[in-house]
Amino acid sequence: MLKFIVKRLFWMVPSLFAVSFLAFVLIQLPPGDFVTTYIATLAASNEIVDQNMAAQLRERFGLGDPVLVQYFKWMWGILSRGDFGISFEWQQPVSGLIWERMALTLVLAVASLLATWAIALPIGVFSAVRKYSIGDYFFTAFSFFGLSVPSFLLALVLMYVAAVEFGQDVGGLFSPEFETASWSIAKMLDLLSHLWLPVAILAVSSTASLIRVMRANMLDELPKPYVTTARAKGLSEFRLLTKYPMRIALNPFISTIAWLLPNLISGSVVVAIVLNLPTAAPLLLQSLMAQDMYLAGAFVLLICALTLIGSLISDILLALVDPRIRLE
Amino acid sequence: MNEGHKPSRGVTRRTVLAGLGAAVAISAVGRRAAAATEKEAPQLATLAKDGKLPPLAERLPTKPMVVKPFEKVGTYGGTLRRGLRGSSDHNGILRMVGNQGLVRWNMDFTEVLPNLAESWEVSADATQFTFHLIAGVRWSDGHPFTADDVVFAIEDCVKNSELYSATPAQLTVAGKPVMAEKIDDHTVKFTFAAPNALYLENLATPLGQHPTLFAKHYCSQFLPKYNPNLEAEAKAAGVAGWTELFRAKCGDIEIPSRWGNVDKPTLDPWVVKEPYSGGATRVVMTRNPYFWQVDTEGNQLPYIDEVNFGISQDVESLMLNVISGKIDIQERHISVLANKPTLSQNMEKGDYRLLTLVPSSAQQCQIYLNMTHKDPAMRKMFADKSFRQALSLGLNRQEIIDIVYFGQSEFFQAGPRPTHPWYHEKLARQFTEFDPDKANAMLDKAGYDKKDADGIRKRPDGQRIFFAIDVIPTLYPDLVDTLELVKAHWAQIGIDIKVNTIERALYYSRGDDNAHDAAVWPGPGGLDPMLDPRDFFAFHPQGSRYAIPWTLWYTSNGEKGEEPPESQKKRFKLFDEARSTADLAKRGEIMKQLFDITAEEFETIGVCLAVGGFGVIRNNLRNVPEKQPDSWTWPNPGPALPQQFTFTS
Repeated sequence: MLKFIVKRLFWMVPSLFAVSFLAFVLIQLPPGDFVTTYIATLAASNEIVDQNMAAQLRERFGLGDPVLVQYFKWMWGILSRGDFGISFEWQQPVSGLIWERMALTLVLAVASLLATWAIALPIGVFSAVRKYSIGDYFFTAFSFFGLSVPSFLLALVLMYVAAVEFGQDVGGLFSPEFETASWSIAKMLDLLSHLWLPVAILAVSSTASLIRVMRANMLDELPKPYVTTARAKGLSEFRLLTKYPMRIALNPFISTIAWLLPNLISGSVVVAIVLNLPTAAPLLLQSLMAQDMYLAGAFVLLICALTLIGSLISDILLALVDPRIRLE
Repeated sequence: MNEGHKPSRGVTRRTVLAGLGAAVAISAVGRRAAAATEKEAPQLATLAKDGKLPPLAERLPTKPMVVKPFEKVGTYGGTLRRGLRGSSDHNGILRMVGNQGLVRWNMDFTEVLPNLAESWEVSADATQFTFHLIAGVRWSDGHPFTADDVVFAIEDCVKNSELYSATPAQLTVAGKPVMAEKIDDHTVKFTFAAPNALYLENLATPLGQHPTLFAKHYCSQFLPKYNPNLEAEAKAAGVAGWTELFRAKCGDIEIPSRWGNVDKPTLDPWVVKEPYSGGATRVVMTRNPYFWQVDTEGNQLPYIDEVNFGISQDVESLMLNVISGKIDIQERHISVLANKPTLSQNMEKGDYRLLTLVPSSAQQCQIYLNMTHKDPAMRKMFADKSFRQALSLGLNRQEIIDIVYFGQSEFFQAGPRPTHPWYHEKLARQFTEFDPDKANAMLDKAGYDKKDADGIRKRPDGQRIFFAIDVIPTLYPDLVDTLELVKAHWAQIGIDIKVNTIERALYYSRGDDNAHDAAVWPGPGGLDPMLDPRDFFAFHPQGSRYAIPWTLWYTSNGEKGEEPPESQKKRFKLFDEARSTADLAKRGEIMKQLFDITAEEFETIGVCLAVGGFGVIRNNLRNVPEKQPDSWTWPNPGPALPQQFTFTS
């Protein structure tokens, strides 16, 4: 097992390089560069940039260098001194911008993940065991409804109702008084009181597919002989379900942990923008639109690293949970 | 009771709306006696009493600038709420807070008024400008503001070739940067290499803020000349070099980091408390205790305690905040015609009134055919004046105005707006009538008389007439609608176009490469014809899209680009002459000659007069002019002096 983990960790290094290079090139592909988009953004409000200024910005950011040179300069900074470069837009070191946002993103992602599982697992098992019952139809209909309503629309409707009908403050993850406060118990509680809305919205959309997956897997397992044997030996129905078929049926949940992290970041972009959440998603989108390469590159790199770590975790968990899987 | 000074509220404002006005009136009267002596905000008075701040008399200049409130003398207190959109919206802060240049615009956008400079003299040839600064003005940290700061900003910062590889265009005339010298503590002289009569007007625009942007006592620590250890300090701060450190700490006119440092001294009415940085979800600014303006009764401005800019990533959630009454004044981002019905309907619910914006632009949709096209056949066609005139006659402008602009516009080509003293009838109205027959006849005569099976005309070389017009749908959705109608109109006279909807960076790089057939943009120069004359001759290297190579030739003094025809050169000369003529009447005469030539050449095709935008003001926010120019050069609402905005109870 240890050998496997070490080997996997070793392979992550070239993967990360490949991915980061691809990301860097992709960010560069759209026409123009940061300065072009910067000028275009200002022009959008009919605001004018000094012409001399534009030329000098380009020079200062080294935008004249070939992509390869820019990439190696950037990579060298990260490897030699953990320097992710400067965000063009903010004139701030990238590392200062991303960590807090990444932390909040993880909080939101994990919370949504747990909420999704907490809803999807029992319903999926229930739907499978009570196949074609009224309850099955009800939950199926409910989950498809959740799947079909775009989450940003749900967010907008909920916000409208809360803001216009009830005069509530919506959007953001903190109350105004806590926004810039340092971390404390009170701030944590404030975060929790704001977290439920985005978590609910994100969970609604991803629950449906998981319910279907769980239901289908359980239906595969339930008629198998080992279930019949266990039942014949007199095991209680609840113990029987949780001990054997559910363990096997969980396989897809665990093997998709790796995708969940990037999915929750990219999938929540629109919701995060609508709800004004201080997570990584809006900053990532903006940095991509502005061609703020180092900031966008750092985000993509981190998301890739998370994916790789996630897939390692899911492999280890699979080996632990599913008795059919062996490393050799 | 209006003069009564009340402590800051917040809750009170709403309670009063619920009908408790009478009680507040009594309490305000009770405080009136104190108001006669207290000429500052209550919090500042407390700080001064506790010795944490010098008394008001020491914070204000001996002769502070007196601002006449728009409606009435205000009361202290309150938080002004306004919205920004995501990142790169730093100019949203600049427009509200950062307008403290040497001079400023008057409300009508017609005259330059004293600001930090209480008076000035201009030499007869408009090369020397001597500014007399208000004595005793202090930066927001209490340090005196003097001629040294102005000289430092120009000579040490802006003219530092490592910091600015080229001196900002405003400060460069005839290829040479301005020279700033100190006469005495409160007098500073700017000398240009050639006449620059427009300098005062330019100085009143946002790009003219450099002279008052950098406090010497603070920003000098980020220049190698004054700080030998700077490179090491930059490394320690985690940035690549001192220039980046300087920008992060002292900012520049229009970059986000101008609002990212709470320590930077400024001359603005409010100073940064919660900065605008990459992670920010809001920006909070708090009153500058050293602000150097007072109202007509001697009360120190600003009236409002804090300005709170919430950052919405999305315009829809900003709209939601507006209609639920969570924004006190807003026009930026929401000022599109499509939002007007929603905002009008919710006026009562959100407790706000509408603000009318007078566009400074001339044209809602200016069509630029690329007369310097790389393909010789296209170039020949676009360069043919009668071809362009025929296209103009082929437009059914009334239909466009009715459908796209709800009937709120009139036929217009280019030039100053009808209310402007320089309005030029021929330039503005020629070839605006809808006359497809005449258009067809003109096109036939111009040699495009053969048509293909679809009824589209052919060029003499046999190619059908087809070109693409670039437009940015995310930026100007109305222009896409307009172009769809234009396409239908022009199809009737045998011209085929493609409405080329593209992303905005691509729009710019196509323009920079001179790779576009044609493009549209709202045409400026309606109220500010001298500041942005891009539609009158090839003036703007990114905006004069009918001939970008000509503009390069003009801006590079003939080194780059392509030599333009004689009529353009004549206009360059006229404009340079107007720019160096201080006498406004004489300048108008020169510009009239320029407009005559522009009208004769007919280079751009305009559709209709720019339509006014609008905004919202909460009903309890007073002293806000309900009609303001809408411009970058008159960066609304800044010149309406937000420091004298006030909340009523």
